[in-house]
Amino acid sequence: MILEYLDVFISGLTNGSVYALMAVGLTLVYGVSKAFNFAYGSFYSLGGYFAWVLMVLVGLWGGYIVVFALAVPFLMGFGFVTEKLIIAPLRKRSDWEVKVMMITLGLALFMDNGFQVLFGPRMKSLPPLMEGAVSLGDIYIANQDIMIFVLSVSGILAFRWVLNNTRIGMAVRAVAQNPAGAKIVGIPKNRIFAATFGISTVMVGVGGILLAQKYFVSPMGGWDILVKSWVITAFGGMGSIRGGLLAAFILGMLEAFVGYWFGLSWVLFALFAVLLTTLAIRPQGLMGKWG
Amino acid sequence: MLKTTDLNAYYDQFHVLHQVSCEVHEGEVVLMLGPNGHGKSTLLKSICGLVHKVDGAIVYKGEAITRLSTEKLVNRGIIYIAENRELFGEMTVLENLKLGAYSRNARKAEKKNLARVFELFPRLATRKKQLASTMSGGEARMLAIARGLMSNADFLCIDEPSLGLQPNLRIEVFNIIREINRQGKTILLVEQNIPQIAELAGRIYVLEEGCITFEGTPEAAAREERLKEIFLGM
Amino acid sequence: MSATMALVFGIMAVLPLFVGGTAHMMHILIMCLIWAVVASCWDLIMGFAGIFSFGQVAFFVIGAYASAIFSIQLGIHPLAAMVLAGLVTAAAGVLVGLPCMRLKGAYIALVTFAVHMILEPFLKSGMGRALGTGGTRGILTIPPMELFGITFAADNKIAVFYAALALAVICSAIIMLVIRSSWGTAFLALKDSQDFAASLGVSAFKYKLAVFALTSFLTGLVGGFYAHYIGMLSTRLLGIDLFVMLMIMLVLGGIGQFPGAILGAIMTVIGNEMLAPLGAYRPLVLGALVVVLVLLLPDGIMGLLRSLVPHKVAEQVRQG
Repeated sequence: MILEYLDVFISGLTNGSVYALMAVGLTLVYGVSKAFNFAYGSFYSLGGYFAWVLMVLVGLWGGYIVVFALAVPFLMGFGFVTEKLIIAPLRKRSDWEVKVMMITLGLALFMDNGFQVLFGPRMKSLPPLMEGAVSLGDIYIANQDIMIFVLSVSGILAFRWVLNNTRIGMAVRAVAQNPAGAKIVGIPKNRIFAATFGISTVMVGVGGILLAQKYFVSPMGGWDILVKSWVITAFGGMGSIRGGLLAAFILGMLEAFVGYWFGLSWVLFALFAVLLTTLAIRPQGLMGKWG
Repeated sequence: MLKTTDLNAYYDQFHVLHQVSCEVHEGEVVLMLGPNGHGKSTLLKSICGLVHKVDGAIVYKGEAITRLSTEKLVNRGIIYIAENRELFGEMTVLENLKLGAYSRNARKAEKKNLARVFELFPRLATRKKQLASTMSGGEARMLAIARGLMSNADFLCIDEPSLGLQPNLRIEVFNIIREINRQGKTILLVEQNIPQIAELAGRIYVLEEGCITFEGTPEAAAREERLKEIFLGM
Repeated sequence: MSATMALVFGIMAVLPLFVGGTAHMMHILIMCLIWAVVASCWDLIMGFAGIFSFGQVAFFVIGAYASAIFSIQLGIHPLAAMVLAGLVTAAAGVLVGLPCMRLKGAYIALVTFAVHMILEPFLKSGMGRALGTGGTRGILTIPPMELFGITFAADNKIAVFYAALALAVICSAIIMLVIRSSWGTAFLALKDSQDFAASLGVSAFKYKLAVFALTSFLTGLVGGFYAHYIGMLSTRLLGIDLFVMLMIMLVLGGIGQFPGAILGAIMTVIGNEMLAPLGAYRPLVLGALVVVLVLLLPDGIMGLLRSLVPHKVAEQVRQG
């Protein structure tokens, strides 16, 4: 019994860490540019398919290290170009916020069906990051879970370091806090917007690669991720990385235990309940602001 | 150093500046006076690339700069220092200053400028780690000016630096501006509070309803009967 | 505004003379009218009231299911079921609207879209089945509307068409009246600035909640009409492609450009029919279409018309 709970706990922890990575990406774009990306879930699938094509279809030499080395620049470029092509042109208009939501929703439908046309409706599975397990007495923890956890947490920490210690990171925070001030000191706002969009694409795409090993890749698989990332963002507090981390682990656990006790179909209801409760009681989330 | 010819500026459908022609020579402090809401700030913002719809000509160091992006203008050494400061509230004083040196032109001189700024504003040096949002009005004003200086600009457009400050702090701000000017910066200043500030200025322009209605020395301005109201009525 | 509407609905009214014999054509026309109302309601809440509600399809489905369930489980007349369904949907709208009152922009989109997302698992769940949603299978035998001895069923499309036309005219008239009334002015003020509106004594809370209630009532009503016409329902209505289609109607017509949404709906339904041969590629094209339309046609057909027609005339068309 205890051991079973431990399994559920570990699953919550690993999933939570990836959710955190993806939620931080979503909050980054919204916090900096107020653009809400409805295609975020499709970018998740994009990461999964990218890895699947390289690992399974092409049978790439070098395994996951090479996949990640190629995925990061690919996703970065994809996000950057997407922002420049379809979001930046909308910014001039007063109703751009809703237009961004609509255009990204259209993009999501396009991408999802593009995946379906290209790869078929069947789910694709990826080989695990690492075989085997670590045993601590009676407890076995899959190496794969450990790797997923370590990679996503270090991804978040690396992002936080960049945000706090580099020139570009400072510029990103400046634009988020005071766009007018950022413009005055000569920060190229539009490039920052595109760059943050690229970074967030990397975060969710890498999240897609990490989770694809446990949950497969499918054309419509991203919608859950969009909702989860959003709920985490709202729950943790917009623009707060620490809040996002905390929220992601809480929701990862909630998902794991609700799924274990009541069945997976209840997870979405539970998340929705958390979302509404948060917004009703504490609309700014657990913690606010950037940091 | 900077010259505008027949400059027009618009916000949406409002025509704010009408055929404004003015000039600032190197090393000068030029004072832009006029009633509130008559386009003084808009003029500074137009020069600094912060107004979307502008026509006419702006020439800086012999180069046409109308409609260049703010980013490019900062790189060429023109900086706007906002009346409402526009600081990054959730960042420290030091981070604000470093962001002031974001442009390519400023990066190489960042260390030198930081030292100079701390010399000019010793109070900021002792508060490097303080969040900008927790500073008092006077300190925040100093920080805004200091951040502007970090851009390594030669030409500063300072928008109402004394706004909302107590008289003693105003004098301090004016002294700082005088010192900055003495160190070789050219300054275009929008201000309302006259007695102390007029001493600073080499020349004065008066902007009324979006048009230049007077140009001359402070002495000449003081003699103009019809400007009395603008001088005293503030 | 009313002139354009009269023109559009007038043309619609005589179309059965030409295509009345073809059941499929009549079906398309009926769907044009149904979606015209749904899209117009969306335009009212999003384009005019400035509330980023992404729950419009969800409200439509709630209305459709509610009306079907009322008529089947309680055995009441479909017309009464439709009105009740409208009220249920309005209640759902208020329930969803309440947490949205304190929220801004994308947060509202999130909450309303989350309602859309959880509606499908809810309808399929044990709770939904207990209410009579039929779970995964859906509802298969919804009684058609019968009034004055006429059965408004799928085999009597001309009757259904004119009923739909009457419904669409009434709903559009209500929407137009709202836009022209003091509500419309209040919405404009609210969209400009919440603070400014408050200084005029406009209560954002009251107006926003009222617009949630009204648009979801009308949407639910039309959803009920749809249910009794089609005779069966499933959660496939909640697919993202239908949602995107509704969005295309609005973008094509022009957001906040009523009655553009009506034109947009008609063009989209017909256009979608023409895309049918594309089969599996159809949603792909729809998705791409949204991207292209949002970028190239920022104010929709109405905006385009206004830029082509001399300003005065266009203004008259809009006002008149």
